[in-house]
Amino acid sequence: MNQYAKMIIVLMIISIASGAVLALSYEVTNPKIQEQARQKLEESVLKVIPGAAKMEVVQKEDMTIYLGLDEQGNKKGIAFKAVGSGFNGAIELMVGYNPSEGKLTGVEILSMSETPGLGAKIKEEAFTNQFNGKSVEDKFIAKEDVQAISGATISSTAVAKAVKTSLDNVMKIYPVGGDF
Amino acid sequence: MQLFKDFINGIWNENPIFRMVIGICSALAVTTAANNGIAMGMALTFVLTCSSILISLLRNIIPAKVRIPCYIIVVATFTTVVDLFMKAYFPSLYEVMGIFIPLIVVNCIVLARAEAFASKVGPVRATADALGMGLGYTWAITLISMIRELMGAGTLFGYHIMGEGFTPWTIMIMPPGAFIVMGILVGLMNMITRKPVE
Repeated sequence: MNQYAKMIIVLMIISIASGAVLALSYEVTNPKIQEQARQKLEESVLKVIPGAAKMEVVQKEDMTIYLGLDEQGNKKGIAFKAVGSGFNGAIELMVGYNPSEGKLTGVEILSMSETPGLGAKIKEEAFTNQFNGKSVEDKFIAKEDVQAISGATISSTAVAKAVKTSLDNVMKIYPVGGDF
Repeated sequence: MQLFKDFINGIWNENPIFRMVIGICSALAVTTAANNGIAMGMALTFVLTCSSILISLLRNIIPAKVRIPCYIIVVATFTTVVDLFMKAYFPSLYEVMGIFIPLIVVNCIVLARAEAFASKVGPVRATADALGMGLGYTWAITLISMIRELMGAGTLFGYHIMGEGFTPWTIMIMPPGAFIVMGILVGLMNMITRKPVE
């Protein structure tokens, strides 16, 4: 056999076999991966809305809002994603908000790549808990009304800013005291 | 005997991290916690063993001129399989390892063993060599990550070891810490195995 033909045929067979293996493992794992992602999202939503047991996803003016409902189906609050630019890249947060009171109910860090031991402390509850009960009228400025982590001002500022920016956007859809 | 020699070769004499110093990109990057070290080592061992066996079986079929693309396809396939399964069943580990699992494709240990060993011998010897290399890599990076975790976070496998009064050396879990720990370990390794000068 011509050696070039052999090269092409061998490469082709290996590629086809590889494609088949990949397609198969994708089929097997994909439902599980989707489920994991959904579970993780739901967990974070339920964590930032106290009293919520279920979540419902609603699309409002190209924003994705997660409604938190309790067992009886009463609305307990809403949650939304916020993105800030930290020291080493994007910081993704889930913010819980109660529109009827105009207060935040919780903040949870979804993903970040801040410096371990310094900026990474934004993940700790000691930092995130301070946002609970903060009013929409607050300024959200690090070192003023938001306690910054020492040695990690940039990360702290990024979180505060991200919360404020996304909160302002959400407030246009869900004004304070309004229905949600 | 030959098999045992092939196996032990990767664990000690030609340890990929401490002796050959190849494939250290992932070894430096993911070794911030002991769990990551073990998981990364297992992922690499799996990919290395599977691809070594397959390449060894195909060694007489693959034309010499296109062997590198063939090896890469084989390695990439196994790596993607590990990547998908890890994402599906160990999401928390997957999150920490991030891009370093897909990067096993270009980890030079895998290609080096395929080119230098698996493509020249039968599947049994190739398996012994791959397992040895994989375990050699695993113990090496687990050791590095244990030291870094203990000093940098005061924990070991997530459990608090150092008492309350311990101030973590943050630098140890940052990139410079990886170089420091690895450098010292390579030096120690050389000291232990140094042959007396005639």
